[in-house]
Amino acid sequence: MIITSDKTGRRVMNLYMGTGLALTALMMLAGLMLRVSQAGWMPMSPGQFYALLTLHGAGLIVALMMCGMGGLWFLMRRETSLSASTAVVAYSLVVAGVAGVLISTLFGGFAGLYTFLAPLPFHGSWPNWSTGVFLISMALITLGWMAWCLQMLGAVLRAYGGLRGALAWDFVWHRQAFDASGRTAPPPQAFPALMAGFDGMLAGMSAMLLGVALIVRWMDAGVLINPLWAKNLTYFFAHTYANLIIYMLVALIYVGMPYATGRKYHTSAVLAVGWWCSMVLTLTNYFHHLYMDFVQPGPFQYLGELSSYLSALPVTAVTIFGALMLVWRSGMKWTLGAIFMYTGLIGWVVGGIGAEIDATVPFNVHLHNTLWVPAHFHTYLVGGCLLFAIGWVFLCVESRSQRRTGALMRWLISLLTFGGMSVFLMGFYCAGAYGVPRRYSIEPPPGPDLAKVASIGAIIMMIGFFVALLEGVRLRFGYSNAAACGEKIQGAGA
Amino acid sequence: MSVAVKLLITFLVFAGVAIAIFIVIAVSTKLPPRDQHEVQRRGYAIRGWWFMGLCLFVIAAFAASIPFYPYMSATAALAPARKVPVIAEQYAFIMPSHLPVNTPIIFEVTSRDVNHDFGIYNPQGHLMAQVQAMPDYTNYLRVVFQEPGQYSARCLEYCGIGHAIMAKTFTVGGK
Repeated sequence: MIITSDKTGRRVMNLYMGTGLALTALMMLAGLMLRVSQAGWMPMSPGQFYALLTLHGAGLIVALMMCGMGGLWFLMRRETSLSASTAVVAYSLVVAGVAGVLISTLFGGFAGLYTFLAPLPFHGSWPNWSTGVFLISMALITLGWMAWCLQMLGAVLRAYGGLRGALAWDFVWHRQAFDASGRTAPPPQAFPALMAGFDGMLAGMSAMLLGVALIVRWMDAGVLINPLWAKNLTYFFAHTYANLIIYMLVALIYVGMPYATGRKYHTSAVLAVGWWCSMVLTLTNYFHHLYMDFVQPGPFQYLGELSSYLSALPVTAVTIFGALMLVWRSGMKWTLGAIFMYTGLIGWVVGGIGAEIDATVPFNVHLHNTLWVPAHFHTYLVGGCLLFAIGWVFLCVESRSQRRTGALMRWLISLLTFGGMSVFLMGFYCAGAYGVPRRYSIEPPPGPDLAKVASIGAIIMMIGFFVALLEGVRLRFGYSNAAACGEKIQGAGA
Repeated sequence: MSVAVKLLITFLVFAGVAIAIFIVIAVSTKLPPRDQHEVQRRGYAIRGWWFMGLCLFVIAAFAASIPFYPYMSATAALAPARKVPVIAEQYAFIMPSHLPVNTPIIFEVTSRDVNHDFGIYNPQGHLMAQVQAMPDYTNYLRVVFQEPGQYSARCLEYCGIGHAIMAKTFTVGGK
């Protein structure tokens, strides 16, 4: 039975998602400034450009991560025992870290990028203090993340009978005995919660291991850090973080799409096995970031490609396919919430296609560290994760509002947002295919021309998001006194 | 057809098919609704075929890509080739300015300070090969330049605020 009237849970979700979406908006503006600068319309000094790029990258990842943390926490609080005060402590640590990143980049000029690949943080033209502030800030963010993961992992393991129960092991392999015992399988959203908790802890531990090593190196320049070891740890935690964002937000799809379509979504054996695969493959995919490190042990290169390919199986055959079955001939009403969520699935798939091409070693020779890389991760972060989060917010607002969005407004928002986004993203893809390097303050041709096109697309997209914000506010002022956000959604979906 | 065009076409074809499927499913919501159990019964059958087809495609793609991996085999490493050291540092490549055409070359790439990437662009400006330049390690990149002309090396791993200007042009053949 789902808890209704959970005002505390809703407040915590609003805290996380509100902060996450506001930070996303700021980071999108920062990203626009970077593209405009590359277009040659608003030149910046390299120092300013790379400090802003560092902020943009770290900020956007953390912002969308906060959306996932808030949304998943809210859903799992209805299923398990989750302490709001622990969630607020985790939130405070993350926000303190974000403040430190802002200080180190905007005031300290730290420009070691959000990957801070060792030993670059100690070989920059920025002041030494900004390196320390940045590293300590990232450690704070990681501590907040790990506190959230630990709480989520503990809650899931307690609620479903340990790891065996949370994985739905008996549900999959001993179905008759499982049913006879009267137990029920964890709901679909419990699997992303388990994955975020488990994989997130592993990623957080590796980030802290590297972070502590770098902080020690910052304090004592005589300390040596092996660059290949550091690179493996960097991409292990960074890739896992980035992947977990979308897997956490998938929980919103598992609850939101059944609500939007009026259909039911239950845990099946296929769903459980799909999540087991994703839990493992997400940890081994990162090897594809090191294809061009020829000193990396050879088997890891093969594993990187195979693992990256295999990770498409559970995503497309389970979650995406399941969502499409919910929508097919459902008579779903295309509210803004439904539109954003459904389009987010498209962004996930298209971004995944770009990622799989890049994960193919022979293609990676031509695409590694070109603009193809930001092309695919912007597709699934902005075109996937962000749309899932905005879609969820709209579903919540629409479920309580007595007002409705007209067809013309829905078309206008869709055309501006998705049309602009397509132009913005194609600027990255075309430049990447033509070998334009990423992270260049001044790009070689055809980079600047494509940056102009991409900037126009980004402006149109952001106008679309702004119009959506205004429409959301209009809907918000049409609230009835009926059930609060989440109650109707859960009631329909469960 | 250049590599860039081939990559873009590959991406656009796959993405176009995926988007078309999504559009068809979205349009289906305008048709009279169907019972969820009926949709699931047929959907699960399709999913089985989709899963098997995707598995086969993934395995075939993986197997097909292996012969084109850029990593040097033991045989290639022992074959006669001209060894060319490349040292990367903020923000320059230290390497010869002239290299022979149609001669196997093994670049021995390392770095004096931070991580860099040694990306080789052909005279048409296409990225033809690359390898990371790492401190404490040497990466070996085997290249045969089949076309004379002016090539350039660019850094493809962010290495500091001078990253965008870290480049070196070199001539292949003609000397």
